[in-house]
Amino acid sequence: MEKVTNVEQLKALQSALSKEAEQAASKKVIIRIAMATCSIASGAKPVLDFFTEEMPRQPLEFIIKSTGCTGLCHSEPTVEVTLPGKAPVMFGKVDVKKANEIVNDYIKGGKQIEGILEVSRS
Amino acid sequence: MKAQQLKIALRNCGVIDPENIQDYIAREGYLALGKCLAGGSREAVVETVKKSGLRGRGGGGFSTGMKWEFAAKPQSDRKFVVCNADEGDPGAFMDRAVLEGDPHSVLEAMAICGYAIGAEDGYIYIRAEYPLAIKRLKTAIAQAEEAGLLGSNIMNTGFNFKIYLKYGAGAFVCGEETALIKSMEGHRGEPVSKPPFPATKGYRGKPTNVNNVETFANVAAIINKGADWFASIGTEKSKGTKVFALAGKVKNVGLVEVPMGTTLRELIYDIGGGILDDKEFQAVQTGGPSGGCLTVKHLDTPIDYESLVASGSMMGSGGMIVMDEDDCMVAVAQFYLEFTVEESCGKCVPCREGNKALYNILHKITHGSGTMADIDRLKELSVVIKSTSLCGLGQTSPNPVLSTINNFYDDYVQHVVDKKCRAKRCRALLEYLVIEENCIGCGACKRACPADAILGEPKKKHFIDQEKCIKCGACYQKCKFNAIAID
Repeated sequence: MEKVTNVEQLKALQSALSKEAEQAASKKVIIRIAMATCSIASGAKPVLDFFTEEMPRQPLEFIIKSTGCTGLCHSEPTVEVTLPGKAPVMFGKVDVKKANEIVNDYIKGGKQIEGILEVSRS
Repeated sequence: MKAQQLKIALRNCGVIDPENIQDYIAREGYLALGKCLAGGSREAVVETVKKSGLRGRGGGGFSTGMKWEFAAKPQSDRKFVVCNADEGDPGAFMDRAVLEGDPHSVLEAMAICGYAIGAEDGYIYIRAEYPLAIKRLKTAIAQAEEAGLLGSNIMNTGFNFKIYLKYGAGAFVCGEETALIKSMEGHRGEPVSKPPFPATKGYRGKPTNVNNVETFANVAAIINKGADWFASIGTEKSKGTKVFALAGKVKNVGLVEVPMGTTLRELIYDIGGGILDDKEFQAVQTGGPSGGCLTVKHLDTPIDYESLVASGSMMGSGGMIVMDEDDCMVAVAQFYLEFTVEESCGKCVPCREGNKALYNILHKITHGSGTMADIDRLKELSVVIKSTSLCGLGQTSPNPVLSTINNFYDDYVQHVVDKKCRAKRCRALLEYLVIEENCIGCGACKRACPADAILGEPKKKHFIDQEKCIKCGACYQKCKFNAIAID
């Protein structure tokens, strides 16, 4: 990343980056895969690999992010999918089979599938 | 309405990619540092943190702003900012989650603290058992330095701040700030008596400010949104939110962040989803080995520093272990004491010898040879250890014993008088019996018994010789006819 040389530049960079993120959210599918120690221990790595392999084959614009802990230890590995313009949806206990279902049925098919967690957001 | 979470310290955890600084900047990252460097005087920064009411999240609950003020005062050629990431409570993982999920929030806050107290060096004392957190911190530090947000002459303001990592070998006592500093200096991790406080004489004898990971994780949000905003959340004396690692017999085990003042009931039932298998709630242990076990009557206690202390426990760093009817409270106290005995550094006698004595008495009680006098001795000894130990470890280690005696006295009495354990956890107090009407004399239990304690002819009723029985439970597991009972 380019060096930030003054505070004004940081502010400009921040607003550009947040606008970019907003725009991306309006047209891209955003997939967040928790990759904290607990998630990895319960099998998040193959799920992440599946998404990074599978998504480029789909005719969709997307962003895959590996994030930290979502706090939902009881349901790791967790995957949060935000379809363009929609509220984020959190899936729990995701394995490769479930991930396949998320891609084909939820993201592409627009169907409601099982395994959605109730998340208290602030 | 169900209680909700409110995420301040965890605001970016699970949202951003911790290995990408741009993700953090997009969510107002480093703006707070910029705001301080561009406009705020050092005093104003300290004043904001003080006014916010933020208190130490490692468990002590001391005002963070005041701590910064003490470290800002002395004139010195060098000062240090230390982040205490030596998370050691059994079942606690708040700091790990923050460091793995949002490392920049800690780095930014340390730089803000450095600016406020006049330090140019920051150290994160992190346990080596957190390899992923260490990796992400290293990445974050490198990215922040590359972006000119850490290092020399940050954003051309003339302020320099570098952050280094120091690895701890996993000693619980090193979470105590003076022991932590000793360990950083390469000495044995042993506490020293205060004063002098680290704020006047800390790392390498220089003024040092030590804060916990979660405390730091709140700072940038306070600077960005203002002290009044933060002070509007929580209770009169405890502001903001607290992160808890909810564990034990609760449905939704996990990491939660709630406003101070949320009740234990809301936390366990609304957010935690209630007790596993819909069993009966028995107790909740807060504050780890330093805290106490609270019971049904405390469920409506609001979670804040004062209320938890008043009810016989403490905030601690945020471990919260829920126990159901199947847990034996005497055994729980023994478990925590076993931990303390293991982790006591041995420098002062009350902690080294006293806790060992407490443990031995508890062991005696859970093994069926306790007396009523032992319960009194536990209490007496606890008070002495608390009042005479050198550091926080010993001053709080008897809390699990005292709180279980206070709240579950009948359980202690049952162990020493009836020699029974209601929860059937204390093996030595169990009695395995053959239910005669169910026994068909198949001999399966007899063959399984490693102590030859089961007698009986084939196809006739068997029985267990209590003198020989080692209470291993092999017969109970083997019997297909429900003919073995545990009393």
